[in-house]
Amino acid sequence: MSVAAGWPPPDVRRLAGGLTVGLVERRQAPVVSTVVCYRAGAAAEPAELAGLAHFLEHMMFKGSAGYGPGEVDRVTQRLGGYNNAYTSHDATLYQFSFAADRWREALSIEADRMAGLRLEARQVEAEREVILEELAMVEDDAWDALELAVLAEFYGDHPYARPVIGRRASLRRIGREELAHFHRRHYRPGGAVLVVAGDVGEEAFAAIEGCFGSAESAADEPVTGGGVTADPAPRGPRRRVELRRGELARLLVALPAPPAVDPGYAALRLVLTGLAGGRSSRLHSRLVEKHRLCSSVGAEIDETVGPGVALLACELLPGASPAEVERRLLAELERLAGDGLTADEIARARRQLVAEWVFSRETVGQEAMATATAVALFEAEHERRHLERIEACSPGQLGLAAAAHLDAGGLAIGWSLPEETP
Amino acid sequence: MSGLRPPAPGTDGWPRVRCRRVEGPPVVAVRVALPGGSRAETVPGTALVCGRALVEGSRSRGWRQVFREAEDRGVELDGLAGYEGIGLAIDCLASELDRALGWAAELALEPALAPDRIGWLAERAAAELAALADQPAALTGWAFLEQLYDPNPRGRPLQGSIQSLERVGSDECREFHESSLARGPMRRRVESLFGAAVERGEAPSPPMPAGTGERRRTVAVGRVDQAHLVAGHLTVGRDHPDLPALELLSVILGAGAGLSGRIPERVRELDGLAYVAGAEAAAGAGLEPGRLEVYLATSPGRLARAERAVREELVRLLDDGPSEEEVRSARDYLLASEPFRFETARQWSDLLAQAELFGMPLDDMAWRRARWQLLDRTAVAAAARRHVRVGELRFTLGLPAEGAGAI
Repeated sequence: MSVAAGWPPPDVRRLAGGLTVGLVERRQAPVVSTVVCYRAGAAAEPAELAGLAHFLEHMMFKGSAGYGPGEVDRVTQRLGGYNNAYTSHDATLYQFSFAADRWREALSIEADRMAGLRLEARQVEAEREVILEELAMVEDDAWDALELAVLAEFYGDHPYARPVIGRRASLRRIGREELAHFHRRHYRPGGAVLVVAGDVGEEAFAAIEGCFGSAESAADEPVTGGGVTADPAPRGPRRRVELRRGELARLLVALPAPPAVDPGYAALRLVLTGLAGGRSSRLHSRLVEKHRLCSSVGAEIDETVGPGVALLACELLPGASPAEVERRLLAELERLAGDGLTADEIARARRQLVAEWVFSRETVGQEAMATATAVALFEAEHERRHLERIEACSPGQLGLAAAAHLDAGGLAIGWSLPEETP
Repeated sequence: MSGLRPPAPGTDGWPRVRCRRVEGPPVVAVRVALPGGSRAETVPGTALVCGRALVEGSRSRGWRQVFREAEDRGVELDGLAGYEGIGLAIDCLASELDRALGWAAELALEPALAPDRIGWLAERAAAELAALADQPAALTGWAFLEQLYDPNPRGRPLQGSIQSLERVGSDECREFHESSLARGPMRRRVESLFGAAVERGEAPSPPMPAGTGERRRTVAVGRVDQAHLVAGHLTVGRDHPDLPALELLSVILGAGAGLSGRIPERVRELDGLAYVAGAEAAAGAGLEPGRLEVYLATSPGRLARAERAVREELVRLLDDGPSEEEVRSARDYLLASEPFRFETARQWSDLLAQAELFGMPLDDMAWRRARWQLLDRTAVAAAARRHVRVGELRFTLGLPAEGAGAI
């Protein structure tokens, strides 16, 4: 029986006003987490206004009809909760977690700023300066800077090439009007999913109806993201990017990956786990333990609506040869693309991912985030289906995934090298 | 396997075991904590290397076998080290409970600490230092800790230094592990997890924090855009009666929810000077004193303005004290956010291990609530006056390379 059987699917309904609502009842602790996910992220913004979606995310805390600037945080604190927000290329998410006896405040805040965001000019100007500082922080971080450069190279003309945070020039072009337009267009009940998870039951729907029932756009069609479709990942000649900074060499390799709804996505995750997930993985065994070239290696793959990307990261030991690391890593990719994983490796990767799936749902906050993303961007059953695919993937499917995604054709290779490296 | 048998209740010579059933996903989290940590090491970096080496093989299994068997079952293994203890963490699905307990005993009591693994861990720790040296916030933070705590171990990275790591070998780790196992309580009220050696004496006391004496220091953080500022001074340790009041004060200053608190509201929300800004009144309070610590990152051209804002906010706090509303809000926050600290098996196991290691009833809900419940504005204002001393502030500035030393 699948481990997913222990996780009942969310109860998903669409309210008359167009808002999609998901309820996940989990009574492990007296807490409730809410997540509103708007199907509009960086890919939905005009290229010349890169950073608009993320800018708006900041402004959602800077004043609405019923909550003054900064008041959302003060209310959250007074009630003993926490809040967070996150922008990706596909979506923007807002989360609150409160004790179960006061979680409805989150609904009041979300309904208020969906319908009545203020966007005062003075607040916009102050927040622009904050975001420019955030951008400087990202650019100062060796790994973040390398990732921005590699993704830009990997995606080329695709909207996913744009940095979510934006660029200095584009951030200076964004004003109150642009923010208001984006908000009007995308922050509507029909473009949003609200998930409530935790120590709460059926009564949540009535509470939500009470807060959002009068929201406009009853005739809304569901709003989709910014025209990103589940195209295959970009292919083409191998590309390279090189940064010079710091004292240590870092390698980041971007590989084409399928969108998250593609059946091959789970297979590629298994392949990547065998390649770089844990101390027994191939890259760790060879680059860290056997040849002692790297202090750490890792792999990750995002869940995207459009063409995906898998990232392999290696942090080199001082004095290790970048050329040798790159050669050995590419050789491992080629070997894996040709021969696939062994039966032992597949079994291990499967068990690791199943455990990881459970670990990543320990808190109701995690559950709410995962469910909101799934309902908004994929399907309500996405998380369970993904786990079931991991549990059921055949060696043949893994072989196909390895062959399709690890060949060197679609790679982008990025290096961050110490300034004095020849 | 080690041949260990479960402890008989109350028997000396066996570990103290805390266990709790946690509702929710079928996850088991096991933690083993041995008192000592870097405050008990003579060669800097020993505790870190020894803690990590606990999961690198045992007398009966090599490191490859340990990790392969763990990963074959989806079990996550980590060796841990801190200033006051070393240990290990095992996270797994509930079906692996028995195996996880057996492994915890095997690895904590009979680690291999093999020379080649110790050498390799030390080399990787040195590489970590090099990697962290590329991070301006880490460089600035290290300099600040040294400014406050030197020559105490809290004044240096857990890794020690590249030079000290060259002196960390298998013999040093073996001795460190044995003394950690044998060590008695770190506080009178505590029996260590491994109670065998309660009578064999406490951990050696490290030198008291004295600080470098500099009021202001600058450190070059490379060719980057942002400058980093850390300001503060030592305050109180974990057992000081004013600590709960300073925890409330931390929330008032900026350690609470979102961007609330005086420092982030002033520096970020009002003046737009920084993306990251926060403050605590007793950061890292342990056996050694914690510290008032304000941190922010901003453009070099705005640094002087940001520093002025920090000083003004601290002066205002002392002149006017916190408001009734601030104290009530901070207290409500600490009390109402308690359920989030006890949601998962992993949180509980961390907490129970700390409760044993520190000798505090951290898992006693009534005790936890009582620490904050009776504090009012007068008590918090008095604690602020006793422990926030603007005239004694120390500043560390991490400056982009060309600007270092210019301020």
